[in-house]
Amino acid sequence: MFSFQSLVQKAQQFIEPTLSVASPSSDRRPTKASLFRHQFRLPDSQNPLQEITAELTLSPHHSTRGSGDSPEKERERPQGIHYVGKLHLSEQYLCFSTQASSFLNSASLSTSSAFTGQTHGAGPGGNGFTLPLCAIRRVERLHSQSYMFALAITTWHGFDNKSKSGEIGGPQKLTVQLAGSRQQCERFCDGLKKGLREGVKGTDNLRSVVNDCYSEYLIATDIENKDAGPGEQRDPPDTGLGTVFRYPGNARKLRDATKIRLWREYLKENGRNATLIRQPTFHKLIRVGLPNRLRSEIWELTSGSFFLRLQNPKLYTETLAKYSGQQSLAIDEIEKDLNRSLPEYPGFQSEEGIGRLRRVLTAYSWTNEEVGYCQAMNIVVAALLIYMSESQAFYLLSVLCDRLLPGYYSTTMYGTLLDQRVFESLVEKTMPILWDHLVKSDVQLSVVSLPWFLSLYINSMPLIFAFRVLDVFFLEGPKVLFQIGLAILRINGEDLLDAADDGTFISVLKTYFARLDESAHPRSENPKLRAVTRFQELMVVAFKEFAGITQNTISEQRSKHKDAVLENIENFAKRTSIRNLGPESKKLSLNDLGFLYDRFYGVLYERQQRAEIIQQEADRKAKAGKAKATEIVTGIPGNDVEMGRVALGPSPTQMDYEGFREFLAGLARWAVTDSPTSTQLNGHDSQSHSYFGGSMRSRSIQMSPWGSGPEPAEHEFMNRLFRRWDTNMHSSLSLQDVVTGFAQVKGTKDIMSNIAYFFDLYDDDGDGKVDREGILRISEALLFLSRRGIDSPATSSPAMQDLHVTDGPSRNEQFLSSVSAFIRRCFEYADPDHPVNQAGNPVEPQEKREEKGEEKKDEELADPDAFSIGDDDDDEDLLDLKDSPAPSTPKLTSNPSAQASQTLSKSLSPSSRAEKHAANVALDPNNPLHITLPTFRMVILADEILEQFFESDFSNSFRLADAPAPSSASSSSNLNTFANPTGRGSTAKPAIPIPGSGGVVPPGKGLRGMLDNIVSDGMRVAAEVKRRMDEAQKELDREAARHGGVGGDEDDEDDQEAEKERRSIREGDRDLLEGMETEDVESGKASAPTISNAQASQTEKTRSPSPTRDREDVVEFER
Amino acid sequence: MADSGATAPKPSSSVKLVLLGEAAVGKSSLVMRFVNNDFQENKEPTIGAAFLTQKCNLPTRTIKFEIWDTAGQERFASLAPMYYRNAQAALVVYDITKPTSLTKAQHWVAELQRQASPGIVIALVGNKADLASDDSPVTNDESDADAAGTTEGDEEVAESEENENANARKVPTKTAKGYADEESLLFFETSAKTGQNVAEVFTAIANAIPETSLKGPRGVGGNTNLGGSRPEDTSRVNLTGGQDPAGAKEGCAC
Repeated sequence: MFSFQSLVQKAQQFIEPTLSVASPSSDRRPTKASLFRHQFRLPDSQNPLQEITAELTLSPHHSTRGSGDSPEKERERPQGIHYVGKLHLSEQYLCFSTQASSFLNSASLSTSSAFTGQTHGAGPGGNGFTLPLCAIRRVERLHSQSYMFALAITTWHGFDNKSKSGEIGGPQKLTVQLAGSRQQCERFCDGLKKGLREGVKGTDNLRSVVNDCYSEYLIATDIENKDAGPGEQRDPPDTGLGTVFRYPGNARKLRDATKIRLWREYLKENGRNATLIRQPTFHKLIRVGLPNRLRSEIWELTSGSFFLRLQNPKLYTETLAKYSGQQSLAIDEIEKDLNRSLPEYPGFQSEEGIGRLRRVLTAYSWTNEEVGYCQAMNIVVAALLIYMSESQAFYLLSVLCDRLLPGYYSTTMYGTLLDQRVFESLVEKTMPILWDHLVKSDVQLSVVSLPWFLSLYINSMPLIFAFRVLDVFFLEGPKVLFQIGLAILRINGEDLLDAADDGTFISVLKTYFARLDESAHPRSENPKLRAVTRFQELMVVAFKEFAGITQNTISEQRSKHKDAVLENIENFAKRTSIRNLGPESKKLSLNDLGFLYDRFYGVLYERQQRAEIIQQEADRKAKAGKAKATEIVTGIPGNDVEMGRVALGPSPTQMDYEGFREFLAGLARWAVTDSPTSTQLNGHDSQSHSYFGGSMRSRSIQMSPWGSGPEPAEHEFMNRLFRRWDTNMHSSLSLQDVVTGFAQVKGTKDIMSNIAYFFDLYDDDGDGKVDREGILRISEALLFLSRRGIDSPATSSPAMQDLHVTDGPSRNEQFLSSVSAFIRRCFEYADPDHPVNQAGNPVEPQEKREEKGEEKKDEELADPDAFSIGDDDDDEDLLDLKDSPAPSTPKLTSNPSAQASQTLSKSLSPSSRAEKHAANVALDPNNPLHITLPTFRMVILADEILEQFFESDFSNSFRLADAPAPSSASSSSNLNTFANPTGRGSTAKPAIPIPGSGGVVPPGKGLRGMLDNIVSDGMRVAAEVKRRMDEAQKELDREAARHGGVGGDEDDEDDQEAEKERRSIREGDRDLLEGMETEDVESGKASAPTISNAQASQTEKTRSPSPTRDREDVVEFER
Repeated sequence: MADSGATAPKPSSSVKLVLLGEAAVGKSSLVMRFVNNDFQENKEPTIGAAFLTQKCNLPTRTIKFEIWDTAGQERFASLAPMYYRNAQAALVVYDITKPTSLTKAQHWVAELQRQASPGIVIALVGNKADLASDDSPVTNDESDADAAGTTEGDEEVAESEENENANARKVPTKTAKGYADEESLLFFETSAKTGQNVAEVFTAIANAIPETSLKGPRGVGGNTNLGGSRPEDTSRVNLTGGQDPAGAKEGCAC
């Protein structure tokens, strides 16, 4: 249920971005699972499995009790401190918090997908514990009067200490009493039992991880001291560079020893590291500042990086080993900054410190290559390293980047920008007067505050104070940064109101930071008050006055401003990347570039989203309901939600071939497939926005691999284009590649270069020759490109569609015949590949042949009877049939494709005549031949339609910004209705108007569909011709074999119309072939009438009308 | 801002100036040289942006530069609009030993020309001129070997590459100058390390700011326009301005 909902939401968000904008609060709430993880700072692998209301009883410390403490007494009425809260069980953790909130999906249906809980996933506030199950040694069930179930939990440390030194450590035991029905309790206990069994595996990890914790040393040495025994001398664990280079600040002034003593007491009573129990004292001890040597451990615990380390203790060293010696951009950037990270701290003037910094930053850049390295990380890590070991700093950095400061250090730094916006809006809310002043004096607050957030106040405040902010920050989360920032402005409010420009504003704050250690009330009578430092005052203001700023506030504000911030970044990125596309891009208009940019990244983004959703759907099916929950607790969508959006950081920048096809399908009509596989697009009215309908639609579309757009065609031409544009041979295109590609295709109006470009596409080996195969491929491509009609610039606007269509048939047929003529001429003028081989054939010398060519051209023009079809002069008069010898033009047909084939056959047939001159070299597979660019150019220029195609039509077939692409809705319905007759039964008959489709299909589309048929038939013919060439290579006796083979190959359509088409094609083919055969015997003059006669009879049979008639009929009918 | 008023009745106005350019080309060092007449080897990378002020005394008036020194790392680029907003002048810096930094600089110039306030005065600055062994503009640089550059090169800020060639210059003056002329930018080659040309850059910018766009406590003076004023005398005036101890103190106060 839950996963389905989130899926639909996501799908909707993707299909209808506006919908999610309209209701941001409802669908951007974090999931319970992520809240749960944030609440207890657990790794992403953890999910809330069980929860139950419980009372936690902490037995008073051992030393305060008699040693003969009887268990009976405990059972009667457990002594000690009692906390009521919720007990949670995940896969590997048992957590308890008095900040009760429910994280189970089943808890409440109404809020199951959107729920923030009371604590908003703020972090381990409140009292309680987060126990890794592997740290639990024993769980006993006790009898209790007041509760059904009572569990006595013995932890790792309890066990350890007891075995080691008897009484002194005392077994740490906690009692948890479960409040719930027997069934609930038993279910919880079953879950716990299972988890505990699994947990045993983690004990080794736990042992090694715990060894790095200073508390172990602290307690152990304490015990040894008391025992006064010699014992084994323990080495203290690595607690950062501070042990060697001194910790910042004056230890005595910081009362470090006192703090250590207090912590030692606390840790002894309440467990340590893995088994630590949070009680009020814990929070107080953190607020007053951590002692130097314990900082690492408490930071690890409160931030949750401890659990990350526990999960994978070797990740740091393994990462370093794995990538040892490798280079990356991040490493270069890191190297630049190593010498300038906290350079005033002696540790970072030494190789030791620099080395540590280098290793931690490098290791992280490998584990998160998307973030890599961002300036400011060096400062933060340097600060951490003063207190922590390398590996501890590494895990803490992970938690910082991934969870506490989401998006701060990403390549677009959207998190930073977003939080600046949030901060500004909080200032506006809480300090309206100051805000007004800032606006009035044009001081940009974020200019001041950005470094505070980005480097966690570390290079703004003196280090000792920055660390105290960090102490609280790790415990309470990102809101602390905002609270401190607000408090700074509040305290300096008056001075800031006097500042009229950026300069004074900044200097006021600089001065303030420099005097944080001074007394806040130097002139106070009260010595106690005088002793309060400015920093203490800051903390009080931050956490008292701005206590209302909670994690929830931040999350809400983040979602509110997210879109605007992302849009800004995207605009900037777009601007920048378009400008940086290089000189080639100047050939395209800015509008076009913008359009290409949007389309390029749009396709990449959509494809990624789709892959994601399809993947999730698969996961969901596989996992049966345990969908991977998303990380939205921060208010910023996690990596998996909107990945690919440019502003969210590293997004894909390379488009593979599939993506390229999809990309083209949105730009060029010819790139849309004729036979979409997804029939579900049918009948979806893009106007329907009803919630349910909308979401269902979105969902079904999501599941199609092509999303909502038209399904792209697959054609060799697209592949060639792709390879041509793929300048780096990476099998993927960058925006740069695409723009350069378009600049070549569209950017020039020079027909010669267009022709050359096309030629080059087919010149596979780059030797300036295109062979027979290539010629046929070119003609196929020409037909492919034109099968949906050719766009003239004027017809791109929807208003002109009618006109365009009326104009269509003639143009398309003309094109068809032009292509046939093209093939013929190519063969005619082709050069033999190996002149020597041609010796036996009556090949005319090249010169002569060319002469003949010229001659023949003249002949063509002079002899309309034979060559009317492809030729220019007949354009206006619809060509072939006029000149056809057939005495009467048939009036009616339902099969326009008959014409196509007819046309083709006719136009192809004259090529046979040419063989008289070329001695049949062209079609003889034993005689390899090729055309060169000049020949190709000549052939193109010989035909006005092809000439125009290369002059403008081809480049116009890509519709960029200046000529908006047809909406996907209309093109897809067009496809379904007409181009794919098999899918739609009766609608295949183009002359029949489709009831109810008028709204979707623009008038005239019916005709267009017909043309599609014509053209695709034409393509089939071309393909067929080619195929036969191949066959001919093997078979000499072509006559017999051919007819059988063709019929069998194509029997995939059931439609009667299709059958007719096919027959007519075969007729056409036969004509062609007959022509070829007769050629050798008969004279050219004789062959033409023969063919014409054959056609005439055929035309009569199919009763094919003239194109003009046909068009009129259809148009009338449609109206 | 009545600070300058004590001595001279010269009109004073403030000019917002932003520094842009690739990481570690020496933006902060240029500012440091100009404001404090100082040079630091290992300076912390700028996070977001740093703000400093410095006065520049022209014969006819005083310009108070409000300098926004921005972070250079690529990903900070999206923050830049925040800083160049309303800027009247920009210093686009590249490193003469790194050709890619000139490309980046060109991107910045394009960005400024399109997005920043119209009439912004842009200066293209090739920094680390001390690493070039030659003083005269040369086109083929890797050819001759001069020992002068090597020792200094090792100490250059954040320039981690070794200079195998004595002359580390990779961007010929002619290339950059040609580009600057094409885009009508001011052009200088500087060295923050030696101080070469640093003050000149700022003086030239001060001179190039159109009178009309100046705002200041004293208002706009009745001076004629400054036209093509880049002669020697202004740079001399400026040198004193740059090294004026009072001015320096003023600048580093914040």
